[in-house]
Amino acid sequence: MILPQGSLFFAGIAACSTVAAAAGDASSRPRGVAPEFAKFYKDPDTFTCISHPAIQIPLSAVNDDYCDCPDGSDEPGTSACAHLSRNSALTPAERPGNDDLELVAALPGFYCKNKGHKPSYVPFQRVNDGICDYELCCDGSDEWARVGGTKCADKCKEIGKEWRKKEEQKQKSMTAALKKKKELLDEASRQRKEVEDNIQRLEGEIQAQELKVKDLQVELEEVEKQEQSKVVKGKTAGKLGVLAGLAKSRVEELRSALVDVRKERDDTRARVKELEGILSTFKVEYNPNFNDEGVKRAVRGWEDYAVRGTLEGAENGAQDRDLDEIAKPDDEKSGINWEQWENEDEGCDSSIVYQLAAYFPPAFVDFVEDKVVLAKGFLEDNGILSKAAESATTESKLVSEARDSVKAAEKSLKDLQSQLKNHRSDLDTDYGVASIFRALKGVCITKDAGEYTYEHCFMDQTKQIPKKGGSSSRMGKFVGIGSVSVDVLNEAGDVVPEDRVSLDYANGQSCWNGPARSTTVILECGEENTILKVAEDEKCVYSMRVTSPAVCASGEEGPAAPKGKDEL
Amino acid sequence: MAGARPLSTRWTLLLSLVVLLGCLVIPGVTVKHENFKTCSQSGFCKRNRALADDVSAKGPSWTSPYQLDPSSIEFKDGQLRGTILKAVSADEQVKLPVVVSFLESGVARVVVDEEKRVNGDIELRHNSQARKERYNDLEKWVLVGGLELSKSATLRPETEEGFTRVLYGPDNKFEAVIRHSPFSADFKRDGQTHVQFNHQGYLNMEHWRQKVEREGDSEEQSQEDEARWWDESFGGNTDSKPRGPESVGLDITFPGYSHVFGIPEHADSLNLKETRGGEGNHNEPYRLYNADVFEYELNSPMTLYGAIPFMQAHRKDSTVGVFWLNAAETWIDIVKQTSSANPLALGVGSQTDTQSHWFSESGQLDVFVFLGPSPQEISKTYGELTGYTQLPQQFAIAYHQCRWNYVTDEDVKEVDRNFDKYQIPYDIIWLDIEYTDDRKYFTWDPLTFPDPISMEQQLDESERKLVVIIDPHIKNQDKYSISAEMTSKDLATKNKDGEIYDGWCWPGSSHWIDCFNPEAIKWWVGLFKYDKFKGTLANVFIWNDMNEPSVFNGPETTMPKDNLHHGNWEHRDIHNVHGMTLVNATYDALLERKKGELRRPFILTRSYYSGAQRMSAMWTGDNQATWEHLGASLPMVLNNGISGFPFAGADVGGFFGNPSKELLTRWYQTGIWYPFFRAHAHIDTRRREPYLIAEPHRSIISQAIRLRYQLLPVWYTAFHEASVNGTPIVRPQYYVHPADEAGFAIDDQLYLGSTGLLAKPVVSEEATTVDIYLADDEKYYDYFDYTVYQGAGQKHTVPAPMEKVPLLMQGGHVIPRKDRPRRSSGLMKWDPYTLVVVLDKNGQADGSLYVDDGETFDYERGAYIHRRFTFQGSTLVSEDIGTKGPKTAEYLKAMAGVRVERVVVVDPPKEWQGKTSVTVIEDGASAASKASMEYHSQADGKAPYAVVKNPNVGIGKKWLIEF
Repeated sequence: MILPQGSLFFAGIAACSTVAAAAGDASSRPRGVAPEFAKFYKDPDTFTCISHPAIQIPLSAVNDDYCDCPDGSDEPGTSACAHLSRNSALTPAERPGNDDLELVAALPGFYCKNKGHKPSYVPFQRVNDGICDYELCCDGSDEWARVGGTKCADKCKEIGKEWRKKEEQKQKSMTAALKKKKELLDEASRQRKEVEDNIQRLEGEIQAQELKVKDLQVELEEVEKQEQSKVVKGKTAGKLGVLAGLAKSRVEELRSALVDVRKERDDTRARVKELEGILSTFKVEYNPNFNDEGVKRAVRGWEDYAVRGTLEGAENGAQDRDLDEIAKPDDEKSGINWEQWENEDEGCDSSIVYQLAAYFPPAFVDFVEDKVVLAKGFLEDNGILSKAAESATTESKLVSEARDSVKAAEKSLKDLQSQLKNHRSDLDTDYGVASIFRALKGVCITKDAGEYTYEHCFMDQTKQIPKKGGSSSRMGKFVGIGSVSVDVLNEAGDVVPEDRVSLDYANGQSCWNGPARSTTVILECGEENTILKVAEDEKCVYSMRVTSPAVCASGEEGPAAPKGKDEL
Repeated sequence: MAGARPLSTRWTLLLSLVVLLGCLVIPGVTVKHENFKTCSQSGFCKRNRALADDVSAKGPSWTSPYQLDPSSIEFKDGQLRGTILKAVSADEQVKLPVVVSFLESGVARVVVDEEKRVNGDIELRHNSQARKERYNDLEKWVLVGGLELSKSATLRPETEEGFTRVLYGPDNKFEAVIRHSPFSADFKRDGQTHVQFNHQGYLNMEHWRQKVEREGDSEEQSQEDEARWWDESFGGNTDSKPRGPESVGLDITFPGYSHVFGIPEHADSLNLKETRGGEGNHNEPYRLYNADVFEYELNSPMTLYGAIPFMQAHRKDSTVGVFWLNAAETWIDIVKQTSSANPLALGVGSQTDTQSHWFSESGQLDVFVFLGPSPQEISKTYGELTGYTQLPQQFAIAYHQCRWNYVTDEDVKEVDRNFDKYQIPYDIIWLDIEYTDDRKYFTWDPLTFPDPISMEQQLDESERKLVVIIDPHIKNQDKYSISAEMTSKDLATKNKDGEIYDGWCWPGSSHWIDCFNPEAIKWWVGLFKYDKFKGTLANVFIWNDMNEPSVFNGPETTMPKDNLHHGNWEHRDIHNVHGMTLVNATYDALLERKKGELRRPFILTRSYYSGAQRMSAMWTGDNQATWEHLGASLPMVLNNGISGFPFAGADVGGFFGNPSKELLTRWYQTGIWYPFFRAHAHIDTRRREPYLIAEPHRSIISQAIRLRYQLLPVWYTAFHEASVNGTPIVRPQYYVHPADEAGFAIDDQLYLGSTGLLAKPVVSEEATTVDIYLADDEKYYDYFDYTVYQGAGQKHTVPAPMEKVPLLMQGGHVIPRKDRPRRSSGLMKWDPYTLVVVLDKNGQADGSLYVDDGETFDYERGAYIHRRFTFQGSTLVSEDIGTKGPKTAEYLKAMAGVRVERVVVVDPPKEWQGKTSVTVIEDGASAASKASMEYHSQADGKAPYAVVKNPNVGIGKKWLIEF
C-alpha cells in the first residue's frame, strides 16, 4: 500500500488545502462543497459557521485541515471534523466552539462532483485515508492529498457509463415490475371477486339446504311414530338377564382392554426405563468439552426430570396385584358370578307400556303415546327408567332410511356452511394492500445458499433443504403480514430507519437445541419474486430478503382496489 | 452432648437442603469438577502435601534428609557446582548434582538433577521406550537469553563452617547463603534475606527406585504409602508411569512479604490467596496443568489453559520473584504466616512471611531467583530470559470482531459492509472452525466458503484482516492429504507403545502434530505458504486453539501423560509447554509465506507457557456472559501482564450466553482496556455485532471502540515498551505505586502503559458511579471534562453513567492521540496527532511516542520514530530518543507529512488567559512561526485548558513550542 514516491506528494496538507480554498475551481467553491451549500462560502474574508452563525472565522481557516466550527462546516474538504458525531466520545479540546452546543454536522459529506457520472457525498471519515472510494467518488477527488502516495485516477467516464447502463436496466426492470404488479393486482381482485361470488352462491345454497333438512326431519318423525305404534315384541330374555348379558360382555371387553393397556403400559415402562438408562449414562459420560448448548440443556433437563422422580420410584406393587386380580376371568369364586344373573327373570317389565297400546283406539294411542314418550324421556333422562334397548328391537328400514336422509342433508349443509366460513375468513384475511398477496399465495421460490436450498412459498411456508442430503426442515408456517424497520443509508451516509413489508412465518420444525424455527420474510421492490439472502439472526430465527413486484410503490389504484396509502 | 442432637439434626437437614439446592442450581453453569483432579487425586500432589504436613507436625524434631557434600563444592566462573546427598536409609544415599548459576543480570539459578537418571542407570517398567533422564530440554523452548554468567560473582572467603556464601548481582549487593546440612539457601539483597529455599524443609526429589512386588500380606510393611507410586488411574484412564514416582518439590519463603502475584492462568484475584483452607482461602493448591476447562469457575485455584510458573512477592518498595522452570504438572501451595509483634522490641512490628510450596510431577528442579528491587527490574530480567512481547502488527492491537461462526463468505462481507454503514471501526474479522471442509484444517467448506479470496480482497480494500483457526488436531482420514502426509512423514505424537496416538477432537478421530520434532515444524511451515493453503492472502492470520492439547476423550480432557513426543520424551514432561510449541511452529510459518515477504506474524493462542509472549497473543478462553466474568477479566489480564505475557484479553460480551445490552455495553467499555481487544460469541448465542444493538447502546459502544482507536498511538507505544523491557501494557496499582501498601491488592483499576491514564471499568449492573483509588497526591483529571480529583490514599467517586468510561489522566504526562475516526487502524496511518499535555503539580509533563510501519521488521533497521515530549517551564519540546539505523532516513521521509494538528494543555497557568498565540520552532525551518492558541477556563471543579491550533510540526521532527 505504501508507495515510497508518496512522500513527494505529501508536501503538507495544510499548504495544499489553503491553495484549494483560495483558488478552488472555476465555480470558486471550496473543495468538497456541494452547489447547494455554495452560498455559505461566498464572503471573501470571513466564513460563518452554517448552523452557528455566532462563530465567524477567517476564510483562510476554511479547509485548513483543522476543525473550527461546531458543525464542521469549515472543513468541507478534509477529514478534520469527522469526529463530530454521536459515535465519538469527545473531550472539550476537540469540541470547537462552546461546549454546550449540540454537535450536528451541517454538511452531508465531502461532495464529489463526479463529472461524467452523478455527483455524490462521501463520508468525511473517508477523505484522505489512502483509499480510493470509487463507489461514491468516481473522480477520486476524495484522495486529493495523496497521502502515502495514493493516487486515485478519475474513473467517472467508465463508472458513469456502467452506472447508466445499469440504471437503464433498473428503469426497465421497474417498469416491468410495475406492470407485473398491476397483473398481480388484477389477479388478486379477480380472485377476490371469485370469493365474493362464491359467498353469495353459498348463502343461497345454504338457505335451500336448511329448508330441506327441516322437511326431512319432519318426515323422519312421522315415520318413527308410525313404526313405534306397531307392536313388535320378539322373544327376549328377562330384562335383567339382558342387562347381565350386556354387562358381562362389556366387562369382558373392559377386562381385555385392561390387559392390553397394561401390556402397553409395561412396554412403555420398559422403553422409559431404557431411555432413563441411556440418559443417566449420558449424564455421566457426556463430554462437556464439545461445548454443545443442546447437550447441556438436555443434561439439565434430565437432572430436573430425575429430581421429580424416575421410574424406579413410580412402580406400585399393590396396584399391580389389584390389577392382576381384576384381570382374572370371573367365576363363582372371584369377580361376578354371571350365571346367577343371566338366569334371573323379572317380575316387572317396563315395556308393558308399549304392549298396552295395542288395545286402545289410534287417536287415544297417539295422545297417550305423546305423553308417555314425554314421561319416558323424562324418566330416562333422569336415570329412573332404563332406555328401551334399541339393539334389542331392530329399527325398521323405513326409519333408518329417513334417518339417513336427514343425516346426509345435514352433512351437506355443514359442508356448505364450512365452505362459506372459509370463504368469509379468506375475505377477512389480510392479504396486504389491495389484497395483492392473494395473487401470490402458494407461489414458491428457492435460493441456494451455503449448505442449503431455501424455499419460500408465499403465504404458506418457508423451508430449508440440505444439499448434502437428509430431510428438509420447515422454517415456519405463515402467520401474517407485518412490517419491520430496516436501517438504510441516506444520501449523506447516515443510517436511517425504513419500514418494509414483512411476511411472518412461525412454528416451524423445532431445533434440536433451540426454539421452533421461524422466518421473517422482508420484502423489497423487484421485478421478480426472488430470494436475495437468507440469514440466521439467532439460533433458528431466520430472515429472508425477498424481492417482489407486489411491494413496488404505487399501482394500487387499479380497478376494484381500495384507495388509500400503503399502510406501511 | 445429647442435648445438642436435635439441633444438629436440624442443622443437618438444613445443610442437606442447602446442598440439594446447590446441586439443583449448579449443574450446567459451572465446571464439571469430576473431570479434573483435586490434589488428593493426584499421587505426587498428595505425597508432597503430606510431606509438608508431616514436617510441620514434627516441628524442630524434623531434619531434612538433603545435605550438600562440602567436599563436592566447586566455584568457577559464576557457577557453584556440587552434589546434594539425599539420605534414603541408614546406608543409602542418592546423589543429586546441583548447579547454582549466578547470572550477569543479577538472577540466580538453581538446578538439581539426579545422577542415576542422568546416567540412564535406571530401568523402565512396561518395556517403555521413554527417555530415562529427567526432562532437560525445556530451556530450548523457553529461554532466549540472559544466561550469561556473572563475572563479578565471588565466593565470600570469611564464611563460617557449614555455609557457602556467594556475592553477586549489581555491585555484588546480592548474596546467596547456602547451608550445607540440611541443604538450604537464602538469597539476600543489601544484607537482608528476601527469598529462602527449603527453609521449611519440604525439599523433595523423588529418586528412582525399583518396584518391589510384594506378596499379598507381606509381614514387612512398607515405610511409605506406595498406593500411587506406579500405575495411576483417573476417570477411567490409567497412566502407566514407567519411571515410577519422580516428582520434585521445594518450599520457597518470602520473609516479610505478605503479597504474592503471578503464576497464571487462574480465574482468581491478582493477590494470590492462601491455599490451605480457612476463611476466604482456597483449600486446593494453585494448579498449573494446561487444560480445556469447560465453563470454568471464578475465584478458583483450578488450572486453566495456560501456565506461567513465575511468582512475584511484593512489599513496600521491594519486589522479588521466582521462576520455576518445569513443564510438568505443577501445584503451588501458599501459606502466609504472621508473627505477632514483640512488645518488648521497640520498632519491630508484626511481620508476615509468605511461604510457597512448589511441586511438579517430573523433570529437573530448576528455579530462578529475582531480587528486584522494583517491579520494573523484575519484568526486565524475566524478559531477558524468556523474551519480551513481540512488537505486534498495528492492526493486532485494534478491534477484533469474532464469532463462532461467520457462516459464509457472503456473511463475512456483509458484516464488513455493516461496520462501514454504521461507521464503527474494526480491523480484523475471525473465522472459527466452521469455515473448514468437515473440520479439516487448511481447507475451506466448498458450499459455505466457495470464494475466500474475494472475501479477503474486500477486507483488504479497507486494510482489514482475516484470522482463521488452525488447531493441532488433524482429522484422521486417509483421503485428507494433510493427514496422509503427517502419517507418512511420521510427524505425529505417539502413544506409549510408539504408535500414532489417536484421540477425539472437533473432527472426530484425530492425530496431533508433534511440534517438538524439527521435521514437523519444517512441514508445518510449508503448509502455510499461499500456494499450499489455498484461499489465503497476505492479510490472513492464524488462531491456534485447543493446543493444551484438548482431547475430548483423554484424561482431564488432554493427552495421556505416557504419550511419547519427539526424542521419546513423555507427554508428562512437556505437557505445559505443548501449546507453545505449536505457536512456535506457526510463528515460523507466518514469518515468510512467500519468498521475500517478511512480516510480523499474528497468532492468538489459548494455551501458553513462559515465552509465548514472543510469538503470540492470548485470551482467557471460554468465559461467560455474566457480570462476574466481566469483573474477573481484569485481574486475569493484569496478572498475565505482570507475568511477562501482557498481550492478553477476554472475550468481549462473554463467550457462553447472551449478554444484556447493558452488560454488552459495559463489556466493550472494559474490553477497550484489554491489550488484546476481541469480541467473541458461542455458536448458540444471538448475533451481537455492535451495530445490531439498539440505540442508545449502539452509539455508546461505537464511542468506546473509537476511544480505543483514538488512543492507539499510546497503546502502540506501550507495546513497544513491553517489547524492549517487558513492562505490562496495562498495569496494576502496585506496579505503578510500589510503596503504597493500601493499593497492593487492588486489581479492578489499571494504568495504561506509562501514560498516567487510569481506567476503572464498570463491572457491575446499574452502576452510576465508580470509586477510583488514588495512591499519590498528584492531580488527576477526568479524561472527558477535566474535572480534578486529588487526594492520596483515598477513593474518589467518579460519575459513570452508561455512556461514560471512567477514565482519569494523572498529572505530569503527555498523551499522543489520533482523533480522526477511520474505518480501520491501517487507514489512520497518515492522520495528524493531537498531544494532550497534562501538567502536574509543578507545571511539568512528559511522555513518549513510538511509531513504525506497523507491519514489517524494518524497525529493526531503524525505520521508526521514537520521540520524547517534555513540557517544562513554558516550553514543549519533542526530542528524538531512537537510535538511527540504515532505514531511518527513508522512513522519516515517508512520514514527513504526518504532523501534530493540535496541542491541548490541561490545567495551564492562569497567566495564559490573555495569550492567543505560541511560538513554534521546528528543526530545519528558516524561522520561527506562530500558531494560535485559545485558553478556556471552566467552572464546577473542572480544570482550565488551552488548545494550540495547527502548530504544523512534523511528528518525526525535532521542534519546540514556546507558550
